[in-house]
Amino acid sequence: MNADMENTSEDIIVCNDVHKWFGSFHVIRGITTSVKQGEKIVILGPSGSGKSTFIRMINRLEEHQRGTIIVDGIELSADVRNIDTIRREVGMVFQSFNLFPHLSVMQNITLAPTKVRKWPKSRAEDIAMELLERVGIPEQAGKFPGELSGGQQQRVAIARALAMQPKVMLFDEPTSALDPEMINEVLDVMRELASSGMTMLIVSHEIGFAREVADRVFMIDEGVIVEEGTASEFFGNPKHERTQAFLSKILA
Amino acid sequence: MSTNLDAPFPSPVLPPPVMERGALGWAHANLFSDRFNTTLTIVSVLILGTASWYGLRWLLMESDWTVIATLGGRLVIGPYNTESACPGQNCFWRPQAALMLVTMLLGMGWVVAGGGITKRIAIAVVTVVAAFSLLPYSLDKMGMDVRLLLLANIPALGLGWAIARYTPLGTARWLAILAVGAFGVTLVLLRGVEGVPGLQPVSVKHWGGLMLNLLLAVAGIALSFPIGVALALGRRGKLPVVKLLCVGFIEIFRGVPLITLLFMSQTLVPLAFPENFPVNSLMRAAIVITLFSAAYMAENVRGGLQALHRGQTEAAQSLGLQNWQTTLFITLPQAIRNVIPAIVGQFIALFKDTTLVFIIGMQDILTYSRAFIQGNPEFIPSAQELFIFLAIVFWIFTYTMSSVSRRIELNLGVGRR
Repeated sequence: MNADMENTSEDIIVCNDVHKWFGSFHVIRGITTSVKQGEKIVILGPSGSGKSTFIRMINRLEEHQRGTIIVDGIELSADVRNIDTIRREVGMVFQSFNLFPHLSVMQNITLAPTKVRKWPKSRAEDIAMELLERVGIPEQAGKFPGELSGGQQQRVAIARALAMQPKVMLFDEPTSALDPEMINEVLDVMRELASSGMTMLIVSHEIGFAREVADRVFMIDEGVIVEEGTASEFFGNPKHERTQAFLSKILA
Repeated sequence: MSTNLDAPFPSPVLPPPVMERGALGWAHANLFSDRFNTTLTIVSVLILGTASWYGLRWLLMESDWTVIATLGGRLVIGPYNTESACPGQNCFWRPQAALMLVTMLLGMGWVVAGGGITKRIAIAVVTVVAAFSLLPYSLDKMGMDVRLLLLANIPALGLGWAIARYTPLGTARWLAILAVGAFGVTLVLLRGVEGVPGLQPVSVKHWGGLMLNLLLAVAGIALSFPIGVALALGRRGKLPVVKLLCVGFIEIFRGVPLITLLFMSQTLVPLAFPENFPVNSLMRAAIVITLFSAAYMAENVRGGLQALHRGQTEAAQSLGLQNWQTTLFITLPQAIRNVIPAIVGQFIALFKDTTLVFIIGMQDILTYSRAFIQGNPEFIPSAQELFIFLAIVFWIFTYTMSSVSRRIELNLGVGRR
C-alpha cells in the first residue's frame, strides 16, 4: 500500500513512516502517505485503531515520536513557531464540538482571527457573519453555545475553524455525538465545503457521505493504513480482509 | 401491548396534576405528612417558641443599647482620633474624607453597574452614615463639624454619580483604576505626611475599629486573588522549579494556622530584616493575611481549572492560540466562574479573620470593643448588646458580599450556560 512518495508541490500533507506510542502502547505503527491540495480523504477504522490519533498528529494535538510529518511545506517538530504556523493553516472540528461555553457564538468565531491573525474586530465580525450564513444559522450569532442544538453547535464549530481561513480541515468524527435527525444538517455543510475545494481529512463512519464526497478512503487498523483507494474501489471491491470484515460489520 | 390508535392527534396538552392546595394542604404536605414529621414539627415549634419568647422579652424589656451610642464613631475608627494618636490636633476628618472617597466610588459604581445591587449598597451606606450624624450623643460629644462631614457623604455620592454619568470616567476600567487610587489616597490620609500641616503622622498602632478590618480585608481580597491565580497556574504549569515553589508555598501557608502566622510575622520576621526596616506591623499583618488567603485561593482556582474538559484547551490550540492566550481567554475565565462560590466563601472568611489581628496588639472593632468594656466596668452588663451588635455588623458585610457574588453569577449566566 506504499503511497506515491514523490513530493510534488501539490502535496499539502506528507507523512513518512510516522510512529507514536502512548506510554508503551504502540498506537501508530508507521504511516506513510500524502494528501494533495483539495483532496477529500475519509478515514475509516475500528475503535482504538489510531484513526483519531492520526489526524490529531497533523496539527500536533498529539506528538509523533518517529518519522516526519510535513504540512504545507513545514515540518512538524518541537519548534513552537512551526507548530503555531501549522495550526493557523489547519482547522479542526471535534466530536464533542468543544465550543467555548462562556463566549457567544460570535465571540467563539472571532476570537482566533482577532487574537492570532490580529484582524480588526469589525473585519472578523463581518467574516464571522458570512460564515454563519454559509452554515445556515446567522440568527444565532448573539446566543451562547449552551442555547443551541447539537447540530447547530457543530455548525458553529465548523464556522469557527473556517474563520481562520485554513488550507486544511480535519474532522474527528464530527457527527458521532449528534442525534440522528441532526446529522444531515452537519453533513450538508461539509458537502458544501467539499465542493468549494477545501482539503479535508474526515474520520467518520458515514458511509453514504464517504461514497459521495471522498476522493480516497483510508482504512486504518492497528496503527497502519491497511487499505486505501477511491471511494468506488474501496466500497465496491475491498481487497484487504480486515476492510471486508469491517465494512460487513458497519453496513450490516 | 395495546396501542391507542383511536386517540385524537395531536394528544391533548394537559395541565399538571393539582397538588394539595391552600394553607391547610401545604401544612399537611410539608409539616404533618406522617407521624415522624408531625413530631418534628411540634418539637421545633416548642423550641422556637421558647427561644423567641425569652429573646423578645430580653430585647424589648431588658436590653440596653446605650453602649453602642456611647462608643459611636469609635467603633468605626478605634483609637485613631485619641489624644495619644493625634496629639494636639483633630484627626477625625481624615478617615471621614476616606469614607467620602468610598461613597463617591459607590456613586460611580451605581452608574457603571446600571443600578441593581450597587445602587442599593450606595443608598444603604449613605443612609446609615447620614443617620449616624443625627445620633443624639457619643463618647466624644460629636461636634457639629463631625456631623456636617458625615452629611457631606450625600453630596459625595451625588458627585460620584454625576462624574460617572456625564464624564468619560464612567466605565468599569476607570472605576477600577480610581478605586486603587482611592485606596492609596486613603492610606496616605490616615498615615499622614511628615511636615504637612493638618496631616500629622499617625502611627499604625493607633489605627483601629471597623476601619482596620475593612482596610485589611480590602487589601487582602484585592491582592490574594491575583496571587492565588498565579500560584494555581504555576502549580499546574510545566516548569518544575516554579511548580515546586508554588506547591511548597501553598502547603506551608495552608498548613499553619493564621493566628500562628500573624504571631510569627511580628516576632520572627523582623529578625530577618535590618533594624528600622520600614515595614510596620499593619503591613506585616496585611501581607500575612494576603498570603494565607492566596494559598487557599490557589487551590480553589486549581479545582476550577481541573474541572474543565480537555477539549477546551485542544480547541483553543487547534485555532492557533498560544498557551498564554488559551489560559487568559479560555481556561481561566471558565475556571474562575465555576468556583465563584468557593472564592467568595474565601473572601468572607478573610474578612472575618481580620479580627485575629488582636494577637499582634492591633485594635480592630472586636478587640477595641472588648477593651472598652474592660476599661469601663459600668458597661460590663452591656457586653451582650455590644457583641450582638458587632455580630449584626459582620453579618451585614458578609451577607452583602454573598449577595454581590450571586448577582455576578446571575449576570455571567453561571449554571445556565
